[in-house]
Amino acid sequence: MNLRDVIIEPHISEKTMMDMEENNWYTFKVALNSNKSQIKDAVEDIFDVTVKKVTTCRMPGKKRRLRYNEGTTAEWKKARVKLSEDDNIEIFEGV
Amino acid sequence: MKVNKEEIGENKVKLEVEIEEERVEDALDEAYKKVVKKVDIDGFRKGKVPRTLLEKRYGEEVLHKDALDILIQQGYYEAVQEADIEPIDQPEITDAHIQGGEPATFTAEVEVKPDVELGNYTELEVEPEEVTVEAEDIEQELEAKRQEHAQLVGVDREVVEEGDFVTIDYEGYVDGETFEGGSAEDYNLEIGSESFVPGFEEQLTGVEVGAETTVEITFPENYQSDDLAGEDAEFEVKVKDIKRKEVPELDDEFAKDLGFETLDELKSDIEEDLAAEAEEKADRAYENQLVEAAVENAEVDVPEVMVEEEIDNMLEGQKMQMQQQGFDFDEYLEMTGMDEEALRDNFRGQAAERTKSNLVLEAIAEEEGIEVTEEEIDEKVEEIAKNQGQDQDPEQIKAFLQMQGQLDQLKDGLQMEKTMEFLKDNN
Repeated sequence: MNLRDVIIEPHISEKTMMDMEENNWYTFKVALNSNKSQIKDAVEDIFDVTVKKVTTCRMPGKKRRLRYNEGTTAEWKKARVKLSEDDNIEIFEGV
Repeated sequence: MKVNKEEIGENKVKLEVEIEEERVEDALDEAYKKVVKKVDIDGFRKGKVPRTLLEKRYGEEVLHKDALDILIQQGYYEAVQEADIEPIDQPEITDAHIQGGEPATFTAEVEVKPDVELGNYTELEVEPEEVTVEAEDIEQELEAKRQEHAQLVGVDREVVEEGDFVTIDYEGYVDGETFEGGSAEDYNLEIGSESFVPGFEEQLTGVEVGAETTVEITFPENYQSDDLAGEDAEFEVKVKDIKRKEVPELDDEFAKDLGFETLDELKSDIEEDLAAEAEEKADRAYENQLVEAAVENAEVDVPEVMVEEEIDNMLEGQKMQMQQQGFDFDEYLEMTGMDEEALRDNFRGQAAERTKSNLVLEAIAEEEGIEVTEEEIDEKVEEIAKNQGQDQDPEQIKAFLQMQGQLDQLKDGLQMEKTMEFLKDNN
């Protein structure tokens, strides 16, 4: 799998911003079929940082309904990445 | 904070103000707190967006405008104090510059109170007028009082004469038809009072009581009702009664009716009243002359802004007065056929005069160190409280005035009065 296809976008919310500032955990939306080692490689390669730990989870799609047609939004994968203390990712603070 | 004061042109001052970084940072913070409440970004509740994210996403400039508003408001006020100037207008702010981590700067141009070059004001050649009450005036006043207390008394005379009060029924026709307001019953008319259309009253003289007569008149061209102006009309008039006005005799009896013991007492009371009135009038005239003379000797450029402000005040006063009399201001404008602009022009000359004398009086007060003390203000407030009614608490009124910003006005007014006293004492 191409490293550039692993990370889709940073996941930014109140919760992740706090996590980032306090514990140096960065959160990404990643490809569903990627695994932790691929995520680690991708983050280290793209942002030039050292990754200490990766945790992932699958976020199930939410039920949505349009008139009588039921459906779901897409399932996706969330990855939290712990960086070593002196590293940070600038792009987060800008997007 | 650094303030650089520069005088440009007449009565105009340019202030270059520089504000330290720390205060800029404070202002930015405050601006952020204000802006953040309105920003909506996915993943954040309203008001919870971090400042860094906000600045990255929308650019640092989002905060600059609000921060500048805050800074200029504070900074301008302080700069005015520091430069020790008295602005009379809103400042014109230019070249405002702000950047996080740098001192902020702005330039304010504002008109200030003009310098007054006082001339001579203590040895003015103005003398207070001597007050005397003429015997004639007393007579006149007495006569007026008599007329006031006149009574209508029936006369046994059959024919109407000039000066009679007649009770009449009348009905008017224009082209054989009645019109609105053209008839009445038991109307009291004084012959010779000219309260009716010219010619009406004259034609009634010589008519007998109980008789009916026809009066033919022509309404004048400038009659208040357009329909009737210039029309010929006929009135059928019936004279029912004749009365004459009887004025009371000038004697002690008359004086007693008015609450005095004797006629002489009444006379001396009238004299006193007249003297007080005349004295007050003379006093005011004297004050006016003093101010006029002092103003003439002084040199002032009266700025346009102050005149306009005075006009505003005068207009406001006029409106208030009209409201109290139950007039509508717009109606008044319509009636006099003026618009507000024309009215302002009317006031302009007077406003300029007033502004000028105010400036001169202020300058004199400053020159002589005339100041209003706290006690004097309290005294005045108490007086106001007394005038308003018994249950008014002076403290409360003072607080109320302060809230409305009228306490300063009060103080200015008192200072004027004191300056006036000074002028009177020193001339």
